Amino acid sequence: MTQSMKRASSERRIGTTAALAAGIFMAVSAAAQAPSASAPAPSWQQGRSADHNSSTLHPIAPILTGRPASELPVDKLKVPAGFKVEVYADGIPEARSLALGDKGTVFVSNRNLKDVYAIVEKDGKRTVTKVLKALNSPNGVAFSKGTLYVAERHRITAYDGIEDRLDNPPDAKVVIDGLDPSNQPGHFWKFLAIGPDGKLYFNVGAPGNIVMPNYQQATINRVDPKTGVMETYAHGVRNSVGFDWDPRSKELWFTNHARDWINDDMPHDTLHRAAKKGMNFGYPYCHQGDFLDPEYGKGRACSEFDKPAAKLGAHIAPLGMRFYTGSMFPDEYRNNMFIAMHGSWNRTTKQGYNVMRASVDGSGRVELKPFLEGFLTDEKADPPMWGRPVDVLVMRDGALLVSDDYNGIVYRVSYRK
Amino acid sequence: MTSALSRRSRRHWGWRLGAGVIAVAGAAPALAAGTDAQREKAALCESCHGSEGRSQAPDTPSLAGQPKQFITTQLVMFREGNRKNAIMNPIAAPLSNAEISELGSYFSAQPAEPAGKPLAAGAATAARGLAERLGCVTCHGAELKGQQHIPRLAGQHADYLRAQLIGFKAGTRFDMDGNMTAAAQALTPADIETLASWLSALP
Repeated sequence: MTQSMKRASSERRIGTTAALAAGIFMAVSAAAQAPSASAPAPSWQQGRSADHNSSTLHPIAPILTGRPASELPVDKLKVPAGFKVEVYADGIPEARSLALGDKGTVFVSNRNLKDVYAIVEKDGKRTVTKVLKALNSPNGVAFSKGTLYVAERHRITAYDGIEDRLDNPPDAKVVIDGLDPSNQPGHFWKFLAIGPDGKLYFNVGAPGNIVMPNYQQATINRVDPKTGVMETYAHGVRNSVGFDWDPRSKELWFTNHARDWINDDMPHDTLHRAAKKGMNFGYPYCHQGDFLDPEYGKGRACSEFDKPAAKLGAHIAPLGMRFYTGSMFPDEYRNNMFIAMHGSWNRTTKQGYNVMRASVDGSGRVELKPFLEGFLTDEKADPPMWGRPVDVLVMRDGALLVSDDYNGIVYRVSYRK
Repeated sequence: MTSALSRRSRRHWGWRLGAGVIAVAGAAPALAAGTDAQREKAALCESCHGSEGRSQAPDTPSLAGQPKQFITTQLVMFREGNRKNAIMNPIAAPLSNAEISELGSYFSAQPAEPAGKPLAAGAATAARGLAERLGCVTCHGAELKGQQHIPRLAGQHADYLRAQLIGFKAGTRFDMDGNMTAAAQALTPADIETLASWLSALP
């Protein structure tokens, strides 16, 4: 398998293994067709019903050269009254996850590309440098106590003291390896975050759109960076590419992508609270807490599984989420969540492509409000948008950074009374 | 790529790089798209991919009329080494993102023309049915002209298309997301022949 085979272009796409396996289950559409169409469905089309055979929906890919902000309608971005949005940095092709160094360096990751960038502000001047190269889908970045951790497809590594030597980064120290034994396409790029327990949390997604995962897949896991000991924290999670801990309760919250190819409005992508280790959120049997999978749900019940905290919208593709712990924004924002919606492709009328703000009331009810909008320009067009939010990051001054992988840009949202 | 053509292409490329200056392409049609700067940058490409990206070499793809994002994605992937090709990897290696973007703008704006000859009506209808059943039209579009990061197939050289499909089926052709590798598993050798020759004649 070539290096290129490990690449992936959509949050929802699926792989050869999945498609091969799916060929067994997926006789519905194939059976009615000629022999040459009876082989596996193209990866991300796996799980389609016969009704979808004429669909023209397809995943959207980032522009891998990036685009200069000066060529884009950034003045069309909208934030609530009193807030301001500006370009923080461009020229970071496929800007994905964000992490903040102790000394203020903003680290930015890639998924289809191979690099980690550093944005450094010095004497009022901001510079962008490629600091790590030739990595294997390094989607996850997290920073703690002087060390940058990077989650590639197959391993998690540590770069000690990197902020002091961005021009000459230290060699990677391996925390854990062997996380990608199949080397197949699938949801195997990783989000990475450091929990209150000091452990590194990361996802291993499902190998396909809707397919039986193995014991290691469709999970959130954690590994102790001191010992390399890994354990599974949550099961039945199709693919989570964003999580954070409530600063008050220290409980894990995460976003999750539901399966495709049911219809425009089902099932919803979800927001979850995992108060303890060992919960199971239902994939592939039950989606959004109350929707049995038409195929895998047979003989099962949603009551077997833990429920999501909120439904976020079908195909809306929630990625990065963080609690707002800064002091710049109005008081009501404190401890709210910001969620980056990468935006739907598997929907005839597109939605998302924005950053939402989520607040939780005393009874656990989640309320969603738009925060950063304006990327979506025509919900029926292909492509429907000019940018796609991926991750959010609270800066020390309380401003919020938002990454956009479609253009390779990081935006900054600030507030003044 | 045949060894003879490889040698020829390498000579072209070596000659141009060796000259230290990329020669400006010959007299350009008055109405053709592209700035002078773009034409200058594109001249190296055109030595193999043909004037304005309409390739005359059966195993070298036409670039004319390809979606800009497809061209830029492939050049980035050649540069990064994800897509491997002895000629393209070193050519793409020194290109900046801005240069790649310019090349994408230039070639995407050039008119395409079919490389192949139309099939007989019955064979064409059967081929179209095959392309629909296989789902080619889902991403490449009803007229197979490509979109965004997805290539135009209409009018492309049959030899090139055949080689890509065989490579996808074998799992050796670069595939950003594994989609074509999965899709190609369904293809019989006869399907590949049918699709390659039918697609090459599409306007």
